[in-house]
Amino acid sequence: MNDQRDPRQIDLERELVRYMAENRITRRMLLERIAKAGAFVALAPIIAACSGGAASASPSKAAAASAPPSTGPSVAPTATPEPTPVPTPESELFIYNWDGYIGETTQKDFEDKYGIRVKYDKFPDASTQITKIRSDGAGGGYDLTYPASTDIAPLARDGVIAALDHSLIPNLKNLGPTWVDPAYDPGNKNSVPNYWWTTGIAWDPAKVSEEITSWAALWNEKYKGKLGMLSDQQEVFAAGAFRLGLPPNTTSEADLDAILALLETQRPLLRRYTEDDIGDFTSGQLWMTQAWSGDWVQMTYEKENAKYVIPSEGAIRGNDTMVVLSGAQHPIAAHLWIDFNLDAKVSAANSNYIGYMGPNAAAQEFIDPAILSNPNLNPDSGVYADLVELVTLEGTDLDNLTKRWLELTA
Amino acid sequence: MAGAHGIAAVAEPPISLRGRLSGGLLVLPGVVWLVVFFLLPLLIIFVVSFGSKDATGHVVLTDLGLRNYIEATKPEFLPAFGNSLRYSLLTTVLSLLIGYPIAYWISRHGGRHKILLLVLVMLPFWTSYLIRTYAWMIILRDNGVANSILMGLGLVSDPIPFLNTDFSVILGMTYGFLPFAILPLFVSIDRLDDNLVQAARDLYASGRGAFQHVILPLTMPGLVAAAVLTFIPAMGDYVTPDLLGGAQTSTIAKIVQVLFTSGRNWPYGSALGFMLMVITLAGTLLAIRALRQETFG
Amino acid sequence: MRTGRNPWLTAFAVLIYAFLFAPIVILVIFSFNVSRRNFVWQGFTTDWYPKLFANRDLLDALWVTVQVAIIAVIVSTVIGSVLGLALARRRFRGAGSSELLILLPMVTPEIIMGISLLIFFSQLFGQNGSLGQIAIAHITFCISYVAVVVRARARNMDPHLEEAARDLGASSTGAFLHVTLPLIAPAVAAGAMLAFALSFDDLVVTAFNAGVGSTTLPIFIYSSIKFGVSPQINAISTIIVAVVAVALFLGWRLGGFRGDGASPIAVTEPAKP
Repeated sequence: MNDQRDPRQIDLERELVRYMAENRITRRMLLERIAKAGAFVALAPIIAACSGGAASASPSKAAAASAPPSTGPSVAPTATPEPTPVPTPESELFIYNWDGYIGETTQKDFEDKYGIRVKYDKFPDASTQITKIRSDGAGGGYDLTYPASTDIAPLARDGVIAALDHSLIPNLKNLGPTWVDPAYDPGNKNSVPNYWWTTGIAWDPAKVSEEITSWAALWNEKYKGKLGMLSDQQEVFAAGAFRLGLPPNTTSEADLDAILALLETQRPLLRRYTEDDIGDFTSGQLWMTQAWSGDWVQMTYEKENAKYVIPSEGAIRGNDTMVVLSGAQHPIAAHLWIDFNLDAKVSAANSNYIGYMGPNAAAQEFIDPAILSNPNLNPDSGVYADLVELVTLEGTDLDNLTKRWLELTA
Repeated sequence: MAGAHGIAAVAEPPISLRGRLSGGLLVLPGVVWLVVFFLLPLLIIFVVSFGSKDATGHVVLTDLGLRNYIEATKPEFLPAFGNSLRYSLLTTVLSLLIGYPIAYWISRHGGRHKILLLVLVMLPFWTSYLIRTYAWMIILRDNGVANSILMGLGLVSDPIPFLNTDFSVILGMTYGFLPFAILPLFVSIDRLDDNLVQAARDLYASGRGAFQHVILPLTMPGLVAAAVLTFIPAMGDYVTPDLLGGAQTSTIAKIVQVLFTSGRNWPYGSALGFMLMVITLAGTLLAIRALRQETFG
Repeated sequence: MRTGRNPWLTAFAVLIYAFLFAPIVILVIFSFNVSRRNFVWQGFTTDWYPKLFANRDLLDALWVTVQVAIIAVIVSTVIGSVLGLALARRRFRGAGSSELLILLPMVTPEIIMGISLLIFFSQLFGQNGSLGQIAIAHITFCISYVAVVVRARARNMDPHLEEAARDLGASSTGAFLHVTLPLIAPAVAAGAMLAFALSFDDLVVTAFNAGVGSTTLPIFIYSSIKFGVSPQINAISTIIVAVVAVALFLGWRLGGFRGDGASPIAVTEPAKP
């Protein structure tokens, strides 16, 4: 295996040089960045016009600009500045992921760079994914997959995913500080964050004349038959909870009953509990719907004026992750893929293509400023802090929710 | 026994021992396959349906009982059961009503091109079912083909909400199961002797009488097969109502799917699934008996 | 002698064919849509067709689907026809339960069948999904459909015919091959066509039995739907339809579909009493 160095002996200057070399930043640029703490893109292949995005730049960006070797304690540098892998990766990699969830050329770029053939299988929904990787308790034959953050704890406990070897993922240093030690997976022991999003309301201003600011908008009789909610039980109940001022992750049966009653008043007004918010919205079936932030970006490709808001009562923040499965036959290649996707430019390319923000601070340079400057996609720290993450539900808690969800939708 | 198969019945020849044995042998490969690859796995799930799950979601088989089945008979599920039955029955009836004339037309008027016409019926079903359903969404949605035509012709001013309703679900399901009805109907109708049909017309001096008293009974096996091949899978179909349906079109099949997937409750899902099976089976057997009785008195 | 042609019936038939092909027409048209997400028509292009041939994953999925379908059709048609025939004609011990056994796979919700096979293969054999596993699953549910169709036809067959052939000196096998088989052939063919459509299009059972490298076309498509059905997928379906249509046309032209219009039964069956 590669040699491990005591983090305390990191050669600061050497790190700096390596960081600059990898990201092709001149010293002058680095100094300017440190000074401005704002987006400055000069030579990046993905050109983004310089915008007044400094105001909305998240705190993590300033931290990254001022301290390039902002590594977590678990990252040890590789021996050489070249990103050549040590030890040798396998020749294949089996990935299991959503469709269209990476940049347009990401897979090909990876294959070209490392000569590893990627077999990229897709699943239509998270349940299929989980069922498949749990089928033999070790990943169902796949090396790497993208579970939601709420899946990590049970998967790790049940030995389905393996602890990551951080020495093979030097680009972990690119993560913003809020992502270095997330609550669902302390120290990123078993996973690496991939994208994060918020769940709010998307609407079509051509059909909906009001400016939307509250979850109550989805109970508006005026738009009966044109409203939608997601078909995700936790998200729907969370929205109901926000409206009632209850904690969105509540497991109290009394709370759940109250939320159920509220949701039942909404059901006759809904057209659909949609699994395809993008499609339904773009095709005009829904004028206003609960939606994920990244999906809203996709909607704007077809319906330019579509709007999105994080409602005032509060919203859910979620993220997904990359994990290496315990039965992986190509673990080195899997780690390489993770490292590759944490590269600033690759991460930005992914974000730009699919519209979701990543946890990658270094990538912010290269992200489309339209995404970066949008407070609904990239909320400022005040709003961000108020967002709530969903918790993993299991056992009786899950049963209680599922029971009511089925009552609601049956 | 003679009347059991209808007018065309002939007394069964006495079955020799060899006949009985060879009948048993013929059946063997199919039965063995189904027992190994269907019954055995199903048995596992059946056992699971009496089990429960622990706090971490794993199936526990130590305390087997009927709790899941009792839970599955809750009144809250009645609307979904009702929807499942309604959609399946309507789909079956529509498929038969549409399928029978088509099969008849192909058989009696197809002439040399009979097989070609039959394969043409099947042709759309060798494309992806999902894309076909998406095509229906393109046709039926508010800004879709149907509404564009209707509004273009000035017949309506606002789009008619075809999609995400009972209508779109039944249309989609009928469309999906039509060839499964047409095929057995054709096979049965095609077997009719022309002379017989002609004789019947002479006898009853009308097309309707000939149909009701001769043709229909003779093609009963085909009708039964078509009904069975349509009703049963329709009860278990959750994809079509999912894609073409809306907030008010939930089915039992969908609930089973939810329990197995996001609900992570395999024992409960299994129990509900088995209940669905029993209801479907009972409904099918009753329908077959009713159809036979109706024709032969 | 043909009964008189009924123009209403013909009109109805035309209408129904239109109904059957309406989505296909839409499908073909939208394979030329500029928009990748394919929700709304945005313009004409033929670019998706060459892109389709460069899409390795899509072509792999198609190839897996075709292989599975061929295997499933052959095996299930043989087993199912024999099963249907036996159930239609013979009285033997266990006939009733065999009848029930055929109905059971059809009554079973796909998700249950899929998961039961998943558990069966992964827990008992340590299998993680494969082409073979999918094929086995498909054969299992196709057998029932073939059996039901063949049985319906065989039920109406005069059981004396095979006896008569044997009386005339034919062996059991000979009687089967030269008398019974031709009589049930249309049903067997119908069953095979049904099995092919079922296998080619199956989603749920297949999803639980596929593994790395054995993704089928329906799974591929269903997984892509989150971002809209790409015109590439419409394109591949258009090509499939076109290939089959051309094959049909050639077959027709070469006289392959020529029957003389009269049912073969009429020729060989004795007149009814």
